[in-house]
Amino acid sequence: MTPATLLDRRLLFVIGKGGTGKSTVTAALALLAARAGKRVLVCEVNAAQDRIAPLLGAAAPSTLSRDGAEPARRAPETTRLRPGLHAVNVHPREAMREYGLMVLKFRAVYQAVFDNRLVRYFLRAVPSLAELVVLGKILHEVRVADHGGRPRWDLVLVDAPATGHAVELLRVPAALLDTVPSGPLRHDARWMHELLTDPVRTAVAMVTLPEELPVAEVLELDAQLRDVLHLSRAALFVNATPRSRFSQGEATRLLALGDTAPPLGPAVRAATIEARRGADALVHLRHLRAGLDLPTTVLPLLPSAPWGPAEVERLAGVIADGGVQVPT
Amino acid sequence: MIARVPGIREALAGRRIAVCVGSGGVGKTTVAAALALARAREGGRALVCTIDPARRLASAMGLSSLGNVETEIPRGRLESAGAAATAGGHLFAMMLDVKRTWDDLIARHAPDPARRERILQNRLYQQMSAALAGSQEYMAMEKLYELATDRDYDLIVLDTPPTAHALDFLEAPDRILDFLGNDTARTLLAPAIGAGRFGFRLAQLGSGYLAKGLARFTGQQALADLGEFLHGFQGMYEGFKARAASVRALLAGPEVGFVLVASPTPPSLDEVLAFHRRLVAEGMPVAGVVVNRLTPALWTGPAPLPAAGELAAPLRAAGIDARALAALPERLAASLAEHEAMAAAEERAIARLLAEVPGPRSLVPRLDGEVHDLAGLARLAARL
Repeated sequence: MTPATLLDRRLLFVIGKGGTGKSTVTAALALLAARAGKRVLVCEVNAAQDRIAPLLGAAAPSTLSRDGAEPARRAPETTRLRPGLHAVNVHPREAMREYGLMVLKFRAVYQAVFDNRLVRYFLRAVPSLAELVVLGKILHEVRVADHGGRPRWDLVLVDAPATGHAVELLRVPAALLDTVPSGPLRHDARWMHELLTDPVRTAVAMVTLPEELPVAEVLELDAQLRDVLHLSRAALFVNATPRSRFSQGEATRLLALGDTAPPLGPAVRAATIEARRGADALVHLRHLRAGLDLPTTVLPLLPSAPWGPAEVERLAGVIADGGVQVPT
Repeated sequence: MIARVPGIREALAGRRIAVCVGSGGVGKTTVAAALALARAREGGRALVCTIDPARRLASAMGLSSLGNVETEIPRGRLESAGAAATAGGHLFAMMLDVKRTWDDLIARHAPDPARRERILQNRLYQQMSAALAGSQEYMAMEKLYELATDRDYDLIVLDTPPTAHALDFLEAPDRILDFLGNDTARTLLAPAIGAGRFGFRLAQLGSGYLAKGLARFTGQQALADLGEFLHGFQGMYEGFKARAASVRALLAGPEVGFVLVASPTPPSLDEVLAFHRRLVAEGMPVAGVVVNRLTPALWTGPAPLPAAGELAAPLRAAGIDARALAALPERLAASLAEHEAMAAAEERAIARLLAEVPGPRSLVPRLDGEVHDLAGLARLAARL
């Protein structure tokens, strides 16, 4: 699948295990979409610290206080990062507030109801309400129109939480349809469910690494998306794939020279490590391809951290070219 | 002369409980399992307890199911993996079952079987164990307390759930107890509770737009479920609270050590730093830091790194015809340069962590192949 087809959706969730580089892939996709002339909103979900903004070269307001990780309370404002590219960090409490205002229509009523301690307590007690309002905020962005009546965003890209939490989030509308008899909750759950399961408007891009556990987890995620959540799976990104400059034959011959004095010894050891990692990655890639029949983009392992705009640029370029070539 | 910094196993030597914390994807579960394995190999009875939807530990341990059952890894399996325990050493593993731990807790505190059943059957309760934020963390600590007080392990290693925020773990019990024992809610619900009715009607909440506003969100059923749940829970709160206080006291004690696990990437290191500050502020005992999957520097000589031209002669001397292998010296030089760049970047990234957290540490190089079996765990344990 070309990125264009993928990015022609209205709503794209980027999901993967923690540490797979989800945010970086999200940022690269956002860049490509914005370059294609789309108006893009990137949503982060309850992130302690904005990740997307720094990846795209904008300053991120630090939300960590000195004594710990208390996220500062702040308005859920969308920040303009580049022309056509905005980002928002969706926090449950703020999303709840927006949602409350939307349902209750009037600020005075909202304040009377929501600033009541008891009500806040009850809202917390209702299972999955926090997930619902977060998801509701994101999905609402897909539906909002500008003054001219056309959608405000061509594409809403979601840097989803780590796999387990993401699945919980996406399951909420269906779960509510099963349990809630009537009322605004059910009404909202219904349109959200319809939007989520509409393969024309909505899709999931999965991100993984060519390693044993991430591969196992993404195979599980794929089955859940397909069989339980009924979301359209559109693409798989295999991130940080190490590639070897050396053939297996060369690696075997070099192996014996690892103990040679410098400068050759250290260079040979680097080469054997490189060759082994490249070979391991290929094994996992094959396993992945055997278990997952999806358009797959292989992304290279970039040498240095921390990653910033330069790395995102490079990944965007690789994605536009269809990924790096690896032997199958 | 640089003072020798002890490793993480040494830091845990006098302790009975290790709590591994850190962001997802850093190898926390394997580090936890390796710490338990190491203690077993030294002749101790060691247990690793994990919360693991992907069943990672289960596969590492060669077990198919670990749900809340402490299972011993057969000594024969350890031996055949080259990780034999010395005499008296036993390795156990279990996977936390959050729902079952909640049920056990309710059963422990319920005054009679009827009350227990009423809570267990409540719809809100049945969703709560999965839906309430912090539920996993709370139950992990609850289970840890039970294991620490009822069993005779020499070491219990708890692998914590991956948290979105560092403070979730420590705050979870308070947040949930605040929910269960909310005074305002109980006062307002008093008519329904006091009357001993099972059915709870919204009308009893009061009148006016407060109740109506609430109902617009939740529907009547959810409120009814909640009223019934709180009713059933009445009288049990004090027991829960006392237990949570004991859990917290246990965690703050000298026999506990928190192990901060990070990978050498800035997001993971930031997370661990935030966690460390939090633990220190709360007076919790930090055992030390594990930085996992490091790229070790290979070039120990002076800069600059060797150019391709310097590699051609030693290759020839080793009997490899560099001309027959296209650009081999160039590729070797590039490989070394890339490796060293990665190693240097990681070293810079961890320097800040090590400066702020000066205690025991284990810097674990990325091992050959991945750690997904007992032999791999044994190799990892040797580096801790």
